[in-house]
Amino acid sequence: MTKIIKNDNIARLLEQLAEDAEVWAPRELAGTGTAIFERWQNGVAVDLEHITSISAKDVVLPRTEKLFDFNYAFGDPVPGENIEIVAAVTAPATVLFGARACDAKALTVLDALFDNPESESYNDPNYQARRRALTVITLACTTADAACFCSSFGEGPAGKAGSDLILYPLEGGYLAEAVTARGESILDAATRFFEESNAEPPQLAETATVEGLDGLQQQLPAIFKDLDFWNEITATCISCGFCSHGCPTCYCFNIHDEMSGDRKGERLRSWDACMFYVYTQEASGHNPRPTQAHRYRNRINHKFSYYPVNQGETLCTGCGRCIRGCPTNLDIREVLRAAKARAVETELMADGGKAETDK
Amino acid sequence: MTTIAQAGRKSTEPLRPEPATVLEVIQETPNIRTLRLAFDDPSVMEAFSFLPGQIGQLSVLGAGESTFAISSAPSGSGSFEFSIMKAGVVTGAIHELAAGDRTAVRAPMGCGFPTDEWKGKNIVLVAGGIGMAPLRSLLFHLLDNRGDYGELTLVYGARTPADLCYEAGRADWQQRSGLDFTATIDAACEGWDGCVGLVPNVLEERGPSPENSVAVTCGPPIMIRFTLQSLSKMGFREEQIYTTLERRMKCGIGICGRCNLGPKYVCTDGPVFSLQELRELPEEL
Repeated sequence: MTKIIKNDNIARLLEQLAEDAEVWAPRELAGTGTAIFERWQNGVAVDLEHITSISAKDVVLPRTEKLFDFNYAFGDPVPGENIEIVAAVTAPATVLFGARACDAKALTVLDALFDNPESESYNDPNYQARRRALTVITLACTTADAACFCSSFGEGPAGKAGSDLILYPLEGGYLAEAVTARGESILDAATRFFEESNAEPPQLAETATVEGLDGLQQQLPAIFKDLDFWNEITATCISCGFCSHGCPTCYCFNIHDEMSGDRKGERLRSWDACMFYVYTQEASGHNPRPTQAHRYRNRINHKFSYYPVNQGETLCTGCGRCIRGCPTNLDIREVLRAAKARAVETELMADGGKAETDK
Repeated sequence: MTTIAQAGRKSTEPLRPEPATVLEVIQETPNIRTLRLAFDDPSVMEAFSFLPGQIGQLSVLGAGESTFAISSAPSGSGSFEFSIMKAGVVTGAIHELAAGDRTAVRAPMGCGFPTDEWKGKNIVLVAGGIGMAPLRSLLFHLLDNRGDYGELTLVYGARTPADLCYEAGRADWQQRSGLDFTATIDAACEGWDGCVGLVPNVLEERGPSPENSVAVTCGPPIMIRFTLQSLSKMGFREEQIYTTLERRMKCGIGICGRCNLGPKYVCTDGPVFSLQELRELPEEL
């Protein structure tokens, strides 16, 4: 089912959606040429031109969220007399508006890990509640910037994975195509904003692809021990962690307690990043990943080798946020190309060595 | 017991701990204490069981939670123990707990030692310092099921006599028939008339046969490294050697990401690994 919504009706549609749901939409950070997703409020202009600097993952996996409340036990006159642990999951109906195909696809990747009743994997009550209350309205991309490469690992600029409704930009408005029943129900419920249409979808963006990476999953182990390679790659890396925090599929987290007033506290879960030194530092002081090279090596292996081994999918949707946001211009596409080349070289040398020995 | 994560079992709220109370605190060494705990809910305590080698997360609400090996006998009823070295914020808070204080626990987690597979074999345990904690649980299991196993050897070392844990246990282990127990310290000192020497050297002196045996080692990385060399010299093959790994962990359910070795997670696929398994994983210890 496709319909058309005119530009003027976008704000009115959001207003209607906001009557029954929390609406998240991109807003331009004034003068920066970039945008962020945030809770939409009446009167705030939606930025459907710039891709957001940070992905939409915090709609389902907030930067910081409460796992439970507790009444404090330690140090009471009668210690912990009133200890009580209260789970705290509530998820209002939520609409994510203006997600890109790379954001929507990433939700399906996270689903495999956090909300997958079919598998033996963990089902996260907080994630499940938020995800199941979420409707995703995706904006197909008709332009791409130099960092976009969703055609390599994602679904492409108008991929449907994870979307309920897709908007294709047209002159003066958008062609709306429902992907799921949820998407259809939006078209049905907001009929006054949508018009019947036979318009054709527009020409989509062409994004760069990283060619020739087949077999990377099997080849990465060949250069695991090649710290010279990883040192070269990360020579400029400052371990700021932006690549993880901006990424729509990075999900690593920390768990910590915070006290809030007398004898009350909460246990929180927050985004973490494998690029941080303390991420793996043990209480003894020993750190299995002491340098940027060790940490970035793990990041690349997790995305392109370990996660595919465990979940069958690459942990990257080609959104390019780690490229746009890196303060030292580390480009994951160049890293992958270099890793591939080095792995092939290493394997050839290993074969050559073997051939030598066989003689 | 749906609130507690267990390897191979789904849990609806695996990050939510179960309230528990400290029953007893034992000062093992100047910086190691053993806490005996019980879940507050009798039905949870009743249903609680674990394998030697499995781990758990102990919380001091407000300070946080950390992962420790369960150090008590798996067959012990009504309580369980963690032995904890004071090293950081959470362990510091744990060291301030006294009997009667309330905590919260997520346990058991991970995979224990494959003790069923080991039936009929001789078992060699090699421990250093706080690395005795998981092996203590294993030793209790072996002693409680003495008829299922052959000769038992235990070499347990620490820097000084004051750094040796489990005083009452050690006295008992010395008396046990079929258990060759040696406690050793790094350098001679006054008041110690026992064995002196580094763990790998003492192990070689005791010389347990690799024939129909498995060896299990846990301790500081440097001790493990030299113990593996000794075991290899003694004729133990990689598939006969097991260890239990330490890593910084948060979630304990293979999600949060910091304890992986390649595609495996120490908190769910370990902490127990055979040396053969470890050789197949990326070297990132």
